[in-house]
Amino acid sequence: MTETSTAERHSQRRDEPHDGARSGVDAAGSERTASAIHMQGLHKRFGASTVALDGVDLTIEAGEFFTLLGPSGCGKTTLLRILAGLEDADQGRLTIGERDVTEVAPHHRSVNTVFQSYALFPHLSVRDNLAFGLKMRGVDRAEREARVERIAEFIQLGDLIDRRIDQLSGGQRQRIALARALVCEPDVLLLDEPLSALDAGLRSQLQVELLRVQKRLGMTFVFVTHDQDEAMVMSDRIAVLNGGTIQQVGPPREVYERPVNAFVARFMGHANLYPISARQGQRVTTELGELELEPDLDTPQQGGGELLLIRPETLDVRLGRHQGVNHLAGRITERLYRGSHAEFRLAVGDTTLQATINNRGRRLPEVGDEVTLVVAPEDLVTVAN
Amino acid sequence: MRKRTLKRGLSAFWWLTLVFLYLPLAVVVLFSFNAANSAASMTGLSLRWYHQLFANDQIMSAFGNTLVLALTSSLIALVIGCLIGYGMYRHRHRKLGWLIVLIYLPIVLPDIVFGISEMAFFVKVNELTGLLGPGLGTMIIAHVTFQIPFVALIVYSRFVGLDPSLFEAAKDLYASPFKRVVHFMLPTIKPALISAFFLSFTLSVDDFVISFFTSGPESATLPIYIWGAIKKGVSPEINAIATLMIAAVALAALASLVVNRRKA
Repeated sequence: MTETSTAERHSQRRDEPHDGARSGVDAAGSERTASAIHMQGLHKRFGASTVALDGVDLTIEAGEFFTLLGPSGCGKTTLLRILAGLEDADQGRLTIGERDVTEVAPHHRSVNTVFQSYALFPHLSVRDNLAFGLKMRGVDRAEREARVERIAEFIQLGDLIDRRIDQLSGGQRQRIALARALVCEPDVLLLDEPLSALDAGLRSQLQVELLRVQKRLGMTFVFVTHDQDEAMVMSDRIAVLNGGTIQQVGPPREVYERPVNAFVARFMGHANLYPISARQGQRVTTELGELELEPDLDTPQQGGGELLLIRPETLDVRLGRHQGVNHLAGRITERLYRGSHAEFRLAVGDTTLQATINNRGRRLPEVGDEVTLVVAPEDLVTVAN
Repeated sequence: MRKRTLKRGLSAFWWLTLVFLYLPLAVVVLFSFNAANSAASMTGLSLRWYHQLFANDQIMSAFGNTLVLALTSSLIALVIGCLIGYGMYRHRHRKLGWLIVLIYLPIVLPDIVFGISEMAFFVKVNELTGLLGPGLGTMIIAHVTFQIPFVALIVYSRFVGLDPSLFEAAKDLYASPFKRVVHFMLPTIKPALISAFFLSFTLSVDDFVISFFTSGPESATLPIYIWGAIKKGVSPEINAIATLMIAAVALAALASLVVNRRKA
């Protein structure tokens, strides 16, 4: 890119409001705008054989809490790094707000990242870490100090501001890393598994905190995680990635309850999946027997998927034998008691199935019990293989 | 009972080692304050050898040469070694094992081989071009050459010990390449640079063999002067020089230690 076009892009950004921008309130209480992100045909390869991204088209709305979810090696981190400018796409276009940033260096992008390792500068105090971005941007000292004080108060760590980094706990470092990125008031905040190094309790506390911060600032957050529970708690929308391609994009409920394929179904939670051998109207035949489903839920392309999905918690486990629509006879082969709920493994015909029931003080079936499994037609969905 | 005997034995061994290491130094320091003319007897304490030392122009010029040589070569080696150390870090994923061996070669090469090669090289260049006549210039080049690997190694290991995402965080926080050097890299490796400087300085002050082969008539350093003087017999003056050198090196080591403690 030439010098002139960089300059032009800069002036464009200042003069024009962002397309589809949503306003929110920043830590200072002033109005700010969030930016939408458009990705078009992003490809990325490492070396000759490793394909990290294989054609990603994605739009992230302004002010959205958006999560990139997938197993390790699915390309989610590569995608985030391309957004940050730390990696260049081999092909494709990336727009943030109105500005094409495909080839813009990271230090010229109004994007900040919360790193998995926090990446706090060991040679600087908390205060100087927080001020680093503003200083590099040439914000004058008085304003810098005021903004740092404000953000430290905002994340309730004002009393740590003169500490050294090695004097902080993991949770405190996490908050400082978040504040260091937020204080720059970027158009987009990127979070690379920021909570993965914390223990479970602190983690769920910080999930709530992070969510509150995002709602209050109205900033666009792009969050990367491999933990589907975390993704569902936090996100407005989730993109599930596998093998460098996007499998499904949607709100958490849609992705969990109406997955488009077996991969998404399995990745989002335990999935009982059975190949459909025959279908007649709204009745499908699987190894479990004949089951009835709601016609409009027979998703993938409405022609119906090849697999039947039954989530363990949609099954009702009743003791004894009963007759009716979508009633399956089974026997308990394994029971895992988990306090709030119990997981059962059952033998149904020649196959097995997993069911979860909430523990409400009633008698829990024992291993060996003959039971009847009941599932409502509206809880059944078919998915592509 | 047996455990206690073993412990005592080990502790005796430790003290014995210390005695062997420091007793000769202590003797030199003690005799530098001897009032008598010979090293045979100690007749009383005096500073006369120190007075004599500071009045000796040859010694003072050798002292000046040593200082100029150590300072200049250490600073040059610091700059070059730092760049090499960073380069080695940046390209650590490539297969550069052979290159690193090449850089470390001067560390393991016997000083005498190194010194003779340097001398032969300088003499040849001097014959052909008239440049690089023996003197402080050639000594500085030779010293820089053997200091570089140490600096590069120290800087490299500091970089390797850093979280790689720090480099990305600096980019992400709007630092241009130049600002990344000034506000992130240099401050972060400062402790390593300081200890590399002190190490280079001590190596230079310490060196005799390489200096001997590359020095000119006007550029004798303290070790070279001592070697020349000692051929006429050990004078108490030499003890005084040795004592001052011990004090200087100990101070430098202490300073390096303090700086590292504070930064680590």
